[in-house]
Amino acid sequence: MTVVALHTQALVLPEAATYLELLGRSLHAARLSNAFPERRPLQQTLETLAESLRLGLHSELYLDSRAGLPNLASLTRALTDKSVARESLARLGDRAALEARADEAELFARLAAKHAYYEKLQDRELAPVDHQRVLLRRHDPASGTAAFRIELTKLDASGVYVRLQIELTQVASLWRRKVIDLDKDGETAAASEAFRAMVYRCADLDAEALFVRLHGSEGVSVERVQRGVIGPVLFALPTGSGVQVVRTAEATDDALGREWHAWSVGAGAAEHERPELLAAFATDSAALDIREERSNDPISPLLSHRLRDQEQARYRALRDRYPFKVFKDRKFVATPGLRTVAHATCAAAGTKNMIYDLQRG
Amino acid sequence: MSSKANLDVLSRQVAYSGEGISVKSLETDIQKERTIQDNKVEELKVLRERNVTIQTAMADELKKLRKFSDYLNGTATKGGFWAGFKEVLSYIPGLGSMGMSQRSIEELLKAQYQISARRVKEAAEYVDTLKQSEQDLYKEIDRINVRIVEMAKNEREALNYVLELKTLQEQLEADEQAAEAGSVEQRDIQASIDKVRAKLAEHSSNVLLYGSAEERYARLKENTRKLADTIRNLAQDIQQYTTASSIKLDMASAQIQAIGRAADASAVMLEMKRSLDVMTESMNVTTQFVSDTQIFFRSNLDTLVKELDTFDEKTTAVLEDNLRKSKEVEEARIQAAVDKAIKRRDGGPAAATPSAP
Repeated sequence: MTVVALHTQALVLPEAATYLELLGRSLHAARLSNAFPERRPLQQTLETLAESLRLGLHSELYLDSRAGLPNLASLTRALTDKSVARESLARLGDRAALEARADEAELFARLAAKHAYYEKLQDRELAPVDHQRVLLRRHDPASGTAAFRIELTKLDASGVYVRLQIELTQVASLWRRKVIDLDKDGETAAASEAFRAMVYRCADLDAEALFVRLHGSEGVSVERVQRGVIGPVLFALPTGSGVQVVRTAEATDDALGREWHAWSVGAGAAEHERPELLAAFATDSAALDIREERSNDPISPLLSHRLRDQEQARYRALRDRYPFKVFKDRKFVATPGLRTVAHATCAAAGTKNMIYDLQRG
Repeated sequence: MSSKANLDVLSRQVAYSGEGISVKSLETDIQKERTIQDNKVEELKVLRERNVTIQTAMADELKKLRKFSDYLNGTATKGGFWAGFKEVLSYIPGLGSMGMSQRSIEELLKAQYQISARRVKEAAEYVDTLKQSEQDLYKEIDRINVRIVEMAKNEREALNYVLELKTLQEQLEADEQAAEAGSVEQRDIQASIDKVRAKLAEHSSNVLLYGSAEERYARLKENTRKLADTIRNLAQDIQQYTTASSIKLDMASAQIQAIGRAADASAVMLEMKRSLDVMTESMNVTTQFVSDTQIFFRSNLDTLVKELDTFDEKTTAVLEDNLRKSKEVEEARIQAAVDKAIKRRDGGPAAATPSAP
C-alpha cells in the first residue's frame, strides 16, 4: 500500500524517478498555453525533486493520491530547499574543499553533492504553492475606469494545479469600496484583502460559477474568467522486481477514472514491464466574447446539461442576467498503453480531444 | 684516555622525531591546539543558541498547526466551536487583527505550513554543520595522537640516552680515580666528564619536556574527545527531532489543505450568518420603530387632537373678533351715509363724511 496519509501516496526510487521524468516530459508534450500554470517552473520543481531523491537528501516523493501530482509537501520541500540554499552554502564553505575530504568520511562526499544541489537550486524558478497578482490592462483616469487581469496559480486542495485568470473592469467611485486599488502612479494595482480572499476561496469553482459570483461584486464588470488545470495524472509504474506495479492510488470516480480502473484490471493488469502515464490538461472559460456555448471536455459537461428540469428555469433566468458564454476543453498526453483510456473516455462523451503521444524514455 | 669508556656515546646523534622542543615551543604548540578547541566551543555555543531559537520557533509553529487540527477535529472545543476556532485563528500571523472573513484561511494555513517547513529545514541544516565540526575534531584528535606518540617516543629516547650518559659518567669517574693525579690522562678524562655533564643537563631537560608535553597533549585529547562527543550528541538530538517534525509535516500536508478549505467554507457560513444577523437586526429596529411610533400616536392622539381643537378655537375667536370688528366698521359707515342722506333730505347742509376705519 503506497498511501501513507490522507490522500498522500509515497513513491521511492527508482519508480519515483521514472514518474518525475515522464511527468516532466508530458508537460512539454502538452504544448501548454498561458491559460495553464507556467510550465517551466513546474518542470524545474520536478527536476529539483528528482535530484534531491537521487542525492539521498529525501527518501520519498509524496503525491496527491487522487490527482497523481506532487502534493503540498513535495512542492514546499523544493521551495524550502531553495529558501535555505544561500545560507546553507555560506555554512558549507568551498565545494572543492569538501570534495578534497571525500575520502576522509562519507559525510564530506554527501556535503559536496548537497553543495552542488544548492548551487543549482539558487538559479531555479520553482512552481509556487500559491501566487496571486493583479495586472493593469487599461486605465482611463477621465472616466475612472480601469481594466485588470487577476492571475492566481494555486495547488488546489483537490490536488490539481490550477491557473485562474480573471479579466474585469472596475469603475472607481468615491462612495463605493473598490475591490482593486491603483497606486498613485496609476500603473500598479493590488486587490483588496477581501476581494483577494474571495478569488482564492472560489478558485475551485468552475469558470461559469466564478463569473456569476464575481460579477456580483460592487462596481465590477467581469469580461472573462479562465481556468487552466493540470491533472489528474494516472500512472502505472512497474517496480524494480517487475512483479508489482505502483498505480495512482485514488483515481477519481469520473468517466476518466472509470476507464482507468477498467484498463488497470483489464489490458493494463498484464503490463509489468513498461511504465505508463496519462496526464489531463483542462481549460474552462466563461467570457463575453465566446460565440458558442460548448463543452469539449469529456469529464466536465456544461452545467446546463447537468441540471434537473425543475432547476433549468431558475438557471436560465440567472444566465439571462449575464451575457457570457462558456467553453470547456481538455487534452491528454499518454504513453502508448494508456492512449486507449483517453480514446475510450472521449468516445463515451462524444468529444473530440487532442491526445498527444508520450514516448517512454 | 681511558680504554674502558666508550666516548662514542657523546658524539651520537639522538633520534628525536619532529621539530626540536623547548618550553616556549611546547607552550606555543599547546596554545595552538587550545585555540582550535576554543573556536569549536565558540562555534558550538553559537550553534546551540541558534538551535534553541529555531527549535523554540519550530515547536511553537508546529503547536499552532496541531491546535488548528485539534479544534477542527472537535477534540478541543471546550469553549464552544467558534470560540476555539477564533482562538486558533489568532495564532496565525496577520489574521488575529483582522476580521475573520477578510483572508482565506486555506491560504494562511498553507503559508503557516511553509513557515514550519522552513524552520524544520533550518534546524536540519545545522546537523550537517555539527557533523562537519565533529569530523574536524576527530581529525584533530588524530593529529594530537600523533603528537602524543611522538612525545612518548622522544621521552623514551631522551631517557635511554640519559642512562647511557650516566653509565659513561660513572665509568669516566672511576677511570679518573685510577689515573695519576694531574696527569694528561686525568685531565683528558675530566674534560670528557664535563662534556657528559653538559649532555646530561640537556637531555634530562628533554626528558622532562617531552614527558610534560605527552601528558598535556593527552589531557587536550580528552577535552577534544568530550567536545566531539557533545557535538555528536547534539547533532543526533537535532536530527531525531527534525526527522520526526519533518515526517509530521509531510504527513499533515493533505490535512492542512482539507482543514483550510473546510475553514474557508466555515468562514463563508459565518459571513452568511453575520449577514443574516445584520438583516435581523435591521428588521428588529424597523419593527420597533413602527411599534413605538404607533404607541406614541395612540397615547398622544387625544392631546394632539385637543391641541388641534384649541388652535381652531383661537382661530375662530380671532376670525369672529375680526368679523365683529369688520361688521362694526361697516355698520358705522352705513350709519354715516344714512345720516348724511337724512340731512340732505331735510334741506340742511351735508355733514362731513366720516372717514372709514
